[in-house]
Amino acid sequence: MSGTSIEISSDLLADEQEGVVTMWLYNDGAHVTKGAVIAEIMVEKAQMEVLAPEQGVLRILVPAEGVICKGAKIGEIDP
Amino acid sequence: MNTSAERILTPARAGREAVIWEMQRNPNVFFIGEDVVHMGGVFNTATGLAKEFPGRVIDTPISEEGFVGIAAGAAIAGMRPIVELAFADFMLVCLNPLANYAAKTHYMSGGQFKVPLVMMVGAGGGYNNGAEQSQCLYALPAHFPGLKVVVPSNAYDTKGIMHAAIRDDNPVLVMYHKATMGVGWLGPAIPTTLSQVPEEDYVVPLGTASILRQGTDITLVGLGWTVHQCLIAADALADNGISAEVIDLRSLVPLDKATLIESVGRTGRLLVVDEDYLSYGVTGEVICCCVEHDIRMFKSPPKRIAYPDVPPPASRSLEGRCMPSHDKIVAMAHDMVHS
Repeated sequence: MSGTSIEISSDLLADEQEGVVTMWLYNDGAHVTKGAVIAEIMVEKAQMEVLAPEQGVLRILVPAEGVICKGAKIGEIDP
Repeated sequence: MNTSAERILTPARAGREAVIWEMQRNPNVFFIGEDVVHMGGVFNTATGLAKEFPGRVIDTPISEEGFVGIAAGAAIAGMRPIVELAFADFMLVCLNPLANYAAKTHYMSGGQFKVPLVMMVGAGGGYNNGAEQSQCLYALPAHFPGLKVVVPSNAYDTKGIMHAAIRDDNPVLVMYHKATMGVGWLGPAIPTTLSQVPEEDYVVPLGTASILRQGTDITLVGLGWTVHQCLIAADALADNGISAEVIDLRSLVPLDKATLIESVGRTGRLLVVDEDYLSYGVTGEVICCCVEHDIRMFKSPPKRIAYPDVPPPASRSLEGRCMPSHDKIVAMAHDMVHS
């Protein structure tokens, strides 16, 4: 069974713009609750929060310091 | 499953959590400073606060003497203000309300007035910001009787210290090193600044140092950013057969002399590492409190690594030479143990 994608909202980044995952607030494999702040990302020196779209087990796909672009999938929540 | 135990926070986020908890429960707590409403503070100490507490987060003009004076007066009148001062260097333009009104009113009124003021102060260099935005100046407020001065170095301590500071009836300066806050634009978070942080409130008592690593050959004492340099150095020293104990000072006033003396009593060697200036500063005070207790416990003369007595240079290469570093700690500790 595939998990729920954790995606960077497409309105946070312009087409050619890059951002970075500054940190994950939970380790890979941790259980998270829906709506919890699970990661921080940074775009042009502005820091933003990523919330868990679902509850379940966190699977990190883009680790801290990883570069992200518009609409990037940075992780999954497994049921 | 307990999810909160697995949650890892930066010091900036952990400190904010304590501020939010206290503001939710005590209507007398308010937050004031430059760029705190829209920007959330230069080092993210106030991110999201203005939205959650409309009217209780106040942006000020660039007038430190004015808004620190407002906060000191409000505290004397019974409020519990939290002032954000992004750069320790700016203490120099608000010393009068800080050192005269906040620090002395309890004494000068014969105890009739309390001053429950918290001031968060960003400190430290490493970003080539030049001599007016890079100093630590930890020793400066610590010199004035009446102010408590604490320097958390990791997320767990930052939250517990903020709770303790806001609940304290005395003026407390919470000095945080910029590099330890976990602010993205200053680079990747230092791993040892991140902690698992409980969601519920808790207190780290002001005036307590913390032994972060136990050792038998030498005691390394750091505060703020230098704690993390000491931890890196302790790893390197272990590879060379030297067992280093690492103490995070956490608090300058009150100073936890008992923990320092007990540690040096066991190791017989003391190396104090500070990013504030060398002369008339924290390193001298820490060494002196141990020497005064019993000079016979030293196997070798106590040593210190601190900022040389020059204003921080803006040049990257020159600033790097001035900063304390794990390499300097390793070299000096090695000399001390093998002297």
